[in-house]
Amino acid sequence: MKCTVVGKRVERKDARAKVTGETIYPSDRSREGMLWVVAVRAAHPHARILSIDTERAAAAAGVVRVLTARDVPGENAFGIQFHDMPVLCSDRVRYLGDVVALVGAESRRAARQAAALVAVDYQPLALLTDPEQALDPATPALHPGGNILHEVHFHKGNISVGFQKSAVIVERSYQLPMMDHAFLETEAGLSYFDENDVLCVESCGQYIYRDRKQIASVLGLAEEKIRVSAEMVGGAFGGKDDITVQIQLALMTYVTGRPAKMVASREESIVAHSKRHPASMWFKTGASKSGKLMAVEARFLSDTGAYASLGGPVLNLMAEHAAGPYLVPHVKVDGHVVYTNNGFSGAFRGFGCTQACVGIESQMDLMARALRRDPLAFRQANVLHQGDAAGLGYEMKTAVGAEPTIRAARAGKLYRQRRRIKKDRTHVSPSLAPFIRRGVGVASQMQGLGLGVGIEDQAEVEVVLGPGGAVRVKVGTTEIGQGAYTAYAQMTAERLGVPLEQVEIVGADTGTCPDSGATTASRTTYAVGNAILLAIAKLEQRRSAWAAQGTGRENLSARANFTVPTQDRQLGDGLPHLLYSYGTHVVLVEVNTLTGEISVEAVEAYLDGGRVVSPLGFEGQSEGGIAQGIGYTLFEEVLLDRGRFLNTNFDTYILPSSKDVPTAIHTVPIEVMEKSGPLGAKGISETCTVGVAPAILNALEDAIGIRFVRLPVRAEDVILAREESPHES
Amino acid sequence: MRVDIELGINGSRSRFAVEPDERLVSTLRDRAGLTGTKQGCKIGECGACSVIMDGKLVPSCLVLSASADGADLLTVEGVAQDGNLSDLQQAFVAEGAIQCGYCTPGMLLAGEYLLSRYQRPDTAQIKEAIAGNLCRCTGYTKIVAAIRKTAKKRSLVKSSAQGR
Ligand code: FES
Ligand code: FES
Repeated sequence: MKCTVVGKRVERKDARAKVTGETIYPSDRSREGMLWVVAVRAAHPHARILSIDTERAAAAAGVVRVLTARDVPGENAFGIQFHDMPVLCSDRVRYLGDVVALVGAESRRAARQAAALVAVDYQPLALLTDPEQALDPATPALHPGGNILHEVHFHKGNISVGFQKSAVIVERSYQLPMMDHAFLETEAGLSYFDENDVLCVESCGQYIYRDRKQIASVLGLAEEKIRVSAEMVGGAFGGKDDITVQIQLALMTYVTGRPAKMVASREESIVAHSKRHPASMWFKTGASKSGKLMAVEARFLSDTGAYASLGGPVLNLMAEHAAGPYLVPHVKVDGHVVYTNNGFSGAFRGFGCTQACVGIESQMDLMARALRRDPLAFRQANVLHQGDAAGLGYEMKTAVGAEPTIRAARAGKLYRQRRRIKKDRTHVSPSLAPFIRRGVGVASQMQGLGLGVGIEDQAEVEVVLGPGGAVRVKVGTTEIGQGAYTAYAQMTAERLGVPLEQVEIVGADTGTCPDSGATTASRTTYAVGNAILLAIAKLEQRRSAWAAQGTGRENLSARANFTVPTQDRQLGDGLPHLLYSYGTHVVLVEVNTLTGEISVEAVEAYLDGGRVVSPLGFEGQSEGGIAQGIGYTLFEEVLLDRGRFLNTNFDTYILPSSKDVPTAIHTVPIEVMEKSGPLGAKGISETCTVGVAPAILNALEDAIGIRFVRLPVRAEDVILAREESPHES
Repeated sequence: MRVDIELGINGSRSRFAVEPDERLVSTLRDRAGLTGTKQGCKIGECGACSVIMDGKLVPSCLVLSASADGADLLTVEGVAQDGNLSDLQQAFVAEGAIQCGYCTPGMLLAGEYLLSRYQRPDTAQIKEAIAGNLCRCTGYTKIVAAIRKTAKKRSLVKSSAQGR
């Protein structure tokens, strides 16, 4: 099918307002008479609360109200999967982000000063910070059900037979850090009662309807009495999937009747919101002499911290993706995710695939090396095709683009010319040249799209045709920066045959938009896109019916609901998926062996998310995903010491800057059309980051002969490893 | 006790009564209502709050408003002229240098500042110029491209003007 708007390098719908500073973000909102709200958070990572005294705080100048657990009218708990996070703690705190009181005051300054006056008497409890210790049934439990949130055990084929048939067996353990989303806009929002007595929360969440439901249950209000919106948000990456400020704001407004505003400081943000799950992983994998993958065995221990959030599903996705995009006859995966007092972890772009991919793609390289095979040829020879059985045994029923991404990567410049490129020193001074080592590494990945079996995954939208050819599309998903609104508009314009300028996306407000589901899991282009096309089909039917009757109408609207299809068999919560996106990354790194400094010099990304709707957005996702992957591999780690956060701002939590990300990024769309997708599209916003870390690790081994198994790899790690390395060069 | 100051913001002068320890970013956002200037860290690390003050690029979170008395400021709201985007703004839009957009105001001003000093900066100079501006979404590639293209365009315009 030929497209005229879809697939074109159009400018983002929201770019003009963003470039002039006109876009209003949650942190920019304000309202006459609003209170500033500051949360009083736990002083200990694990403690019993003996008493909370708010008297002095409440009497301080400018303070209007100090709220504690007693002020919560409904259920004092929330959470995406389980309601296990207290809104306001009354008896116990489990991490430093737990909230014991909320101060509402006439100014931010007054609120902050009063927050320091809330006196909480704590009795510190034994800390649980070692995930291994959490597995021990003798360890005191952080939650009524014990310290194991969830476990997985899968076995396909016969793992010992698999290893018997293997000529090469590789075994390694990997350590992965806790990572912060570091969205540039911290958690923020505004709440107020409108003229109809509806409680409005303008905030930063990734799923307005789920937020509304949770606010309603905390306040004991009907959902219709609450309106939640979150149109433009300054980045999220999964970190705003859990409720952050929404309930706190709503509660303050509910109790005081006043508008309320919150903006987290960076320090508070890093302590309070979810993280990428830190994990330890053990992999043992085997391949036959002829280079056929025989066995993948993996064990995971993931640390969800103080609360469940999405720790279970993240572990499930680690298991689902443990064998990578490969055909493996014998697979065994066991995993646990446990509670500790280490902050809390949840959704983060890649959602378990990121972690699993570091393991399996390091293993693939190690096996290729042991077999003396070309690393991409080895992957290609073992890759999954449509109709094959995936790692956990179910059939890959939809389009599988893994092989084409590998084939394209093999033909790409960086890979073909890697020997020459590795030797090239023309860009460094002659005195430095002897210390420079270059290496090229690859990784392939797949990433489940949508929420998976057993989790409701629907998108409803409304398309309205107005006078003069204007089209309005009402969607409930948030524009967190990913560019989805532009993609929606392109698909709408394409299908209706109208110019893109005539399409307006009305977004993310429960007061005006239907429930399009969560802005997560690479699902929105696919799910919302399909719903838009269904709604347009309805409109056209009606239009032609009217045309047949000879009655024209100007205003016409249709709603449609699309349900993301799933596998028939359920293996766990959200497990497995029916649809995946795919990718292969090729990375060139350079190591200065004198200083240990690592720089990523070039990246080629071959990504299959079906048809590319918006090329600028596609490349942008890829480039940003690569930057995040570089951060994960080389810089970023939230450091905790006995449950206390050590690096809570950007002076110590180091993000990649412009100097750490190469300009030589080449993103190549591999468009394997997905029949069930809107115009053949799926999505790539996660797969574009997943393979980056292992590709860098593989490039490092190629450069300096050292296999790193712990992230992040810093300059000092390079120096130390080289000192210890037997064949130091 | 408040301090009375006067600021020239995007060409017009206004007076503010600020707290002695108030930062310029707060005066701009909360008192002047100019929320285009963002805040990401408040410790001078992210560049989201960048403004041009008396011709210099500064993180407005590290400037005490009281000490800025009398200064002339350019914020993102003052970059477009009469509703027309500047060439750099246009390049950001056309190149796809914007995702969530929270870093964009600071990036634009860092880009403007660079271009006010160098006619044809190379990629390394551009990267250096925006190294104090963090972006979590784009990977910087398209931001660098937008600045590079604008530099090229400006110097072409200049040399053709000189040629005439
Ligand atoms: S807010 Fe000023 S540099 Fe980050
Ligand atoms: S576009 Fe989101 S931080 Fe730069």
